[in-house]
Amino acid sequence: MFTNTFFVDTWWVCWRELKHLLGQKMRLFMTLFQPFIWLTLMGNLFERVAMIPGFPAAKYLDYMTPGIVVMVTLFAGMFGGMSIVWDRRLGFFQKMLAAPISRAAVVAGKMLAIGIQTAFQSLVILGIAWGMGVSFAAGPLGILPLAGLAFLLSMAFAGLSLSLGAVLTSHEALIAVVNFLTMPLVFTSNAMMPLDLMPDWLAGLATWNPLSYAINPMRGLFLTGWAWNELLNGALVLALVALVTGSVATALIRRSLA
Amino acid sequence: MSKRIIQTQELTKRYRGGLLAVDRVSFYVTEGEIFGLLGPNGAGKSTTIHMLITLLKPTAGRAEVCGYDVSKSPDAVRRCIGYVSQDIAVDESLTGRENLELQGRFYHLPKDVLESRTAELLEMLELTERANDLVSTYSGGMRKRLDITEGLIHRPRILFLDEPTLGLDIQTRRRIWDYIEDLRSKHGITVFLTTHYMEEADHLCDRVAIIDEGRIVALGSPAELKAQIGGDLVRLKLGGRDGLPEEELRRELSSLAPVERVVADGAETYTLVVRDGERALPGIFSRLIDLGVSIESVNMKRPTLDDVFLHYTGKELRDKEGSGAYYRASAAIRRARR
Ligand SMILES: Nc1ncnc2c1ncn2[C@@H]1O[C@H](COP(=O)(O)OP(=O)(O)OP(=O)(O)O)[C@@H](O)[C@H]1O
Ligand SMILES: [Mg+2]
Repeated sequence: MFTNTFFVDTWWVCWRELKHLLGQKMRLFMTLFQPFIWLTLMGNLFERVAMIPGFPAAKYLDYMTPGIVVMVTLFAGMFGGMSIVWDRRLGFFQKMLAAPISRAAVVAGKMLAIGIQTAFQSLVILGIAWGMGVSFAAGPLGILPLAGLAFLLSMAFAGLSLSLGAVLTSHEALIAVVNFLTMPLVFTSNAMMPLDLMPDWLAGLATWNPLSYAINPMRGLFLTGWAWNELLNGALVLALVALVTGSVATALIRRSLA
Repeated sequence: MSKRIIQTQELTKRYRGGLLAVDRVSFYVTEGEIFGLLGPNGAGKSTTIHMLITLLKPTAGRAEVCGYDVSKSPDAVRRCIGYVSQDIAVDESLTGRENLELQGRFYHLPKDVLESRTAELLEMLELTERANDLVSTYSGGMRKRLDITEGLIHRPRILFLDEPTLGLDIQTRRRIWDYIEDLRSKHGITVFLTTHYMEEADHLCDRVAIIDEGRIVALGSPAELKAQIGGDLVRLKLGGRDGLPEEELRRELSSLAPVERVVADGAETYTLVVRDGERALPGIFSRLIDLGVSIESVNMKRPTLDDVFLHYTGKELRDKEGSGAYYRASAAIRRARR
């Protein structure tokens, strides 16, 4: 499965994806502009939520910024499967698979590109939020774990999306499934509301939601500072999920060729 | 030269839904040959190619490519072949040069080899000046040539081309034909191509396998296949028979020495298979005049691979809107007779 060229192959698949992103000025602009809109709208809309007794942050925006990082990351990851649907339609997918590169590298390369993209996006969001007066307790070096968590989280969901893309042959179907999954994933996590303020059954679901493994440590970075245990725990779980979803995607691609 | 570089035995593909796309296909291709798989839409051409290039697992049967079994050593097969799909699978958001280089990366070429090959292929494509432009600014013909050339970056021993000229205009098609012939004569590459253009198979291929509904119905050089028809095709449209019964007319025509077969095409139209048609026509005419039959029009042609296809399947190679039902019916009748 992992040939000795796996990492090189992964890099070239990833290189192509990054070229696509950088080549599309509008898409690039939107990936940077979208978080700005979200921060402005949500910050204002939910401003008074922070007054609810027991709310863990003084300003809702302080609480919400990591939530937005996670949502942006989730969206980018969840649409990762689109590239495989396109590639299949264009015949580029078949072309890659007819070459002696490993199937796992095709998946890993696409996941890696999305990971890199969202790592940068998370830093842009942090920059914008900082400009809007959000505090970041972990200090300048905290950007590393923040970007790292975004990187791992988007790869985990890109793996899921690529699995769907390996099975579904139309992008309409993929978009429908992704839309169906995304919002419930957000609302069954503590991205927007603390667990304590949720109904019990939702809070129970949220503890299982992979998103929580990114949000909790990220929120720590914003509100309280470095918490190594939580950071490592979150990173480990997300990396495992990414490994699992990536393997499933690879297996499904292999199966689709049978 | 006579090494068999591709060999299949009873190669079969049944898709998951149950559709039998390729049905016990056996053939070989010798090194240096241009071999064509000719058949209509849905005949199973792409499915056959996909099994040979390890993109699909055969349901039954065997295929060896470059001496390796496609199921057992897919990676060895992949290193030995180049593949150009039916779609123009170039990346529009990259430049021509980047497309070529990326393809070379997928075949793990060292950097210096990659650079010299890319330069050489761009030169061959006459694309050197446009090499750094995005492919989205290229014409359809340029893209297809780039696509085919990408299949050559690692100097494969066999190049698989799935419908290399689909949807291109005739000038571009001819350029691609010349290009494919050059590859063979200059580099000794074996070419395996599929097409549903009979002119293409006729012009390019040393040998052609005609495939229909997953079965190979005829295989040989274009000349051999056409010779199997048994002569030239003379199409007669009659003005009137002067009371002569159709049966009688057919017997009379069939009894003429050069006439091999008579096929009634309906509406007072007959197609005769005639040996050495040019010399035979006057004799046919005078016999018809003696019988009091008037001739409205005559058309004579050498058989094409279209006719070969029609001969073996009872169907026209090109889908003709509207006539499909008729040909399907006659094909069914032929099959029932066999
Ligand atoms: N993935 C698939 N699943 C199920 N059936 C398929 C699949 N791919 C092709 N088929 C069917 O198999 C048959 C052969 O298809 P194939 O693509 O090999 O034909 P083809 O000769 O290449 O045709 P064309 O000239 O249109 O490219 C067709 O009936 C097609 O509908
Ligand atoms: Mg095809």
